[in-house]
Amino acid sequence: MIAALKDLTDRFFGRGEAAITVPPFDGALKPNQLLENATVVCDLDTPEDLATDGTSVCIADGKRILRLEGSTPVEVAALDAPVTALAAMPGGGFAVALDGRAVRIVGGAQDGRTWDAANGRPFNAINALSATPDGKLLVTDGSQTRPYAQWSHDLMELGRSGRLVELVPADGSAREIATDLAYAFGACATPGGVWVSESWRHRLVSFNGGKAGAVVLDRLPAYPSRLTPATGGGYWLTAFVARTQLVEFILREPAYRKRMMAEIDPRYWVVPSLSAGNTFKEPMQGAHIKTMGILKPWAPPRSYGLVIHLTPEGLVRYSLHSRVDGKNHGVVAAVDCGGALFVLAKGRRRLLRLDIADIERSLQA
Amino acid sequence: MSTPILELRQATKKYAGVPAIEDVDFTLLKGEVHALVGENGAGKSTLTKVMAGVVTLTSGQMLVDGHEAAPRTPNEARDLGIAMVFQENSLVPTMTVAQNLFLGQEKFFNRLRGIYIAAQQFLQSLNFDVAPTATVSLLGAAKKQMVEIARAVLHNAKVIIFDEPTASLTPEEKKYFFDLVRDLKKRGVSVIFISHALEEALLIADRITVLRDGKHVVTDDAAKFDRARIVQAMVGRDLSQTLYGQRKATVRPPGKRVLSVQNLRMASMVKNNSLSVFAGQITGVFGLVGAGRTETFKVVSGVIKRDFFHGGEVLLHDKPVRYRVPAPAVRDGIAYITEDRKVEGFFETMSIARNVYIGQLAKLRSKGSLISNTAAKLLGETWAKALNIRAISADVKAVELSGGNQQKMVIAKSLVQEPELVIFDEPTRGVDVGAIAEIHRLINDLADQGKAVVVISSYLPEVMALSDRILVSRQGKVVEEYSTLEATEEKIMYAAIH
Repeated sequence: MIAALKDLTDRFFGRGEAAITVPPFDGALKPNQLLENATVVCDLDTPEDLATDGTSVCIADGKRILRLEGSTPVEVAALDAPVTALAAMPGGGFAVALDGRAVRIVGGAQDGRTWDAANGRPFNAINALSATPDGKLLVTDGSQTRPYAQWSHDLMELGRSGRLVELVPADGSAREIATDLAYAFGACATPGGVWVSESWRHRLVSFNGGKAGAVVLDRLPAYPSRLTPATGGGYWLTAFVARTQLVEFILREPAYRKRMMAEIDPRYWVVPSLSAGNTFKEPMQGAHIKTMGILKPWAPPRSYGLVIHLTPEGLVRYSLHSRVDGKNHGVVAAVDCGGALFVLAKGRRRLLRLDIADIERSLQA
Repeated sequence: MSTPILELRQATKKYAGVPAIEDVDFTLLKGEVHALVGENGAGKSTLTKVMAGVVTLTSGQMLVDGHEAAPRTPNEARDLGIAMVFQENSLVPTMTVAQNLFLGQEKFFNRLRGIYIAAQQFLQSLNFDVAPTATVSLLGAAKKQMVEIARAVLHNAKVIIFDEPTASLTPEEKKYFFDLVRDLKKRGVSVIFISHALEEALLIADRITVLRDGKHVVTDDAAKFDRARIVQAMVGRDLSQTLYGQRKATVRPPGKRVLSVQNLRMASMVKNNSLSVFAGQITGVFGLVGAGRTETFKVVSGVIKRDFFHGGEVLLHDKPVRYRVPAPAVRDGIAYITEDRKVEGFFETMSIARNVYIGQLAKLRSKGSLISNTAAKLLGETWAKALNIRAISADVKAVELSGGNQQKMVIAKSLVQEPELVIFDEPTRGVDVGAIAEIHRLINDLADQGKAVVVISSYLPEVMALSDRILVSRQGKVVEEYSTLEATEEKIMYAAIH
């Protein structure tokens, strides 16, 4: 009763959950042009994910798995369905998510082993895979109600049906670690438990045995996604789009969302996007985004590019950006290999490369 | 300009047997601007108070126009042609400008219209743009200063003493004030100018006298001084390297986010302002007057309230907070150290110990706790020692302390609360160079201890010397952020203006 009254007053005054606010990009999240100025390794057709075994970088591109040789991607495997997530297994081979609905081991000792459900519930929107040092596989199933491609539908429906699943390739078992996540997108094993990105809650949560997770990093100004270990310690966290007050406002207006979803082409919804500026029909994310025909880099973004480097404790150490006026947007994966950071800008369908030593040097300066 | 209008010979003033000034010789020439500089407790205020009749000499001689004089009250000093404009102005805030000008000169039948006309003519003759009918409380700091000066001139002052006249003025107002001083000089009025801003003393003064520990150190033409020489004379050592001198070679990495301000709104002063403050770092906030810096952090600490509707969010350790009064903010570990210490910072008739003790009491949840004099005294002594608050005794009232020691006491009053987030608003305004170095060291120590520290300052060298990251505020919101390593004065000022 009291909670309901508080909700009502919050909605009236625009406070608490009803406050249409967005955390600032400041401190270690201060915008820069590092991602925008990164070297373009290659352009791809329908890239989805990256993986590394420590010696080379592999790319999930449509139904193919490509290995990067120099700056040329070479096909190493072809599958019967689009690959939505990719992980390199410690003992060799890959784990792939097929169309978001199944996980299959390709190559290695457990070649061909497949899972299509966990705890009796079928997979629906697998968007990330991560191999643990002890040979297990972490899976994030973003939504139980919407398929992988319809992530923006899940956002507009305030989806809370994501889950984190652990697969054991050795015996073929599967168990749910966490459920009811607000779009689980990316996980990584850490010494303190498993960290998982909850995109719609803009946070990283750690699970270590219990059902309730501990918040590692909260109130991000972006929607976090995949998480990979960094060679020098810490983690790389990608954020596929930045938050804006306009979208926060839409998320608090159920009637508007319902009508928009029923009547408007999803490409033109007022939702974040992996890329923007392709057509005049797209919604402007706030007024005054252009001056003299030039897009202001600090304008509210519809699409954005962001990679965050986290310390082993989960603090933001630094970040790499492609701002509103940039192109390398919709970053969904980042892995480091051989002193370089490889970043997948899905919005631009590009693989980018940055020298980690150069990044740190330029940020120090 | 060669006739001494005011002279002090072997002037000594002792409080409870302790000399505040000792054997000081001072000469003020007709039509000169004479700057008086020195550390806190150097005796500047005492010396000028002697001249203005606020206190009398214990021994020594004072001569006005060659005649011995010993004014015992400010009225007597005024009759001798000596007026003092105090840092905290002495105007009656509820009265109009004209009423304040003629205060004490009222006739039996006073016609308001008559004094308004007289005041208007007089202010115009001084070229002061102040409406005589305006209520003083509604005037800005510079205009109040003008009224003070006008009052001094109206009383035919031959000597006007300014105590820290520019401390609360904006850069534009300062420029206007200097023009005023030059104008007074042209009229043959002699000016004594106490300031901690050494550049101002070098800019405006004809001669400079330096005092140290109540003793006269040197008097010389301003042209023969530079900043380093003054500082060396003031402190007896070269402080130029420690005081704003060196840029940081490294910055502290950010710790956990302690404070997040999101889309904060407060009337017309704060407009959709967002910023974060991290543990273990000093976040400098620079901006011109009216940039909404102070207001933002006053909202954070519960001193003022944000907009009622859609006022944005303030998150402390990622939890939303909304303080209506400062007490809960203090309990949650927020300390706001005000820019206006004399009005908001301390109880001036209480001792150092009592003031610090009040800071501790503010943290307590229970209102039923008994006040312990012993605990207060012990606390006062501990903090006076820790922060090097220099006073004749622990029982000295706060009002009797110098600006720097008052500021240290205000800081002690907040630090005793063991805050996690310490917000310094203009921490060294009206503070001498020695105390500035000490306060800066203290601020750095707090960040090194892992506390989140905010320093709001209008003084660029201070922001650049202290901060690990610099936020630039303009028109009610943060518009730019720089790491101290990349920041330059030009970049910061450009962001603050454009």
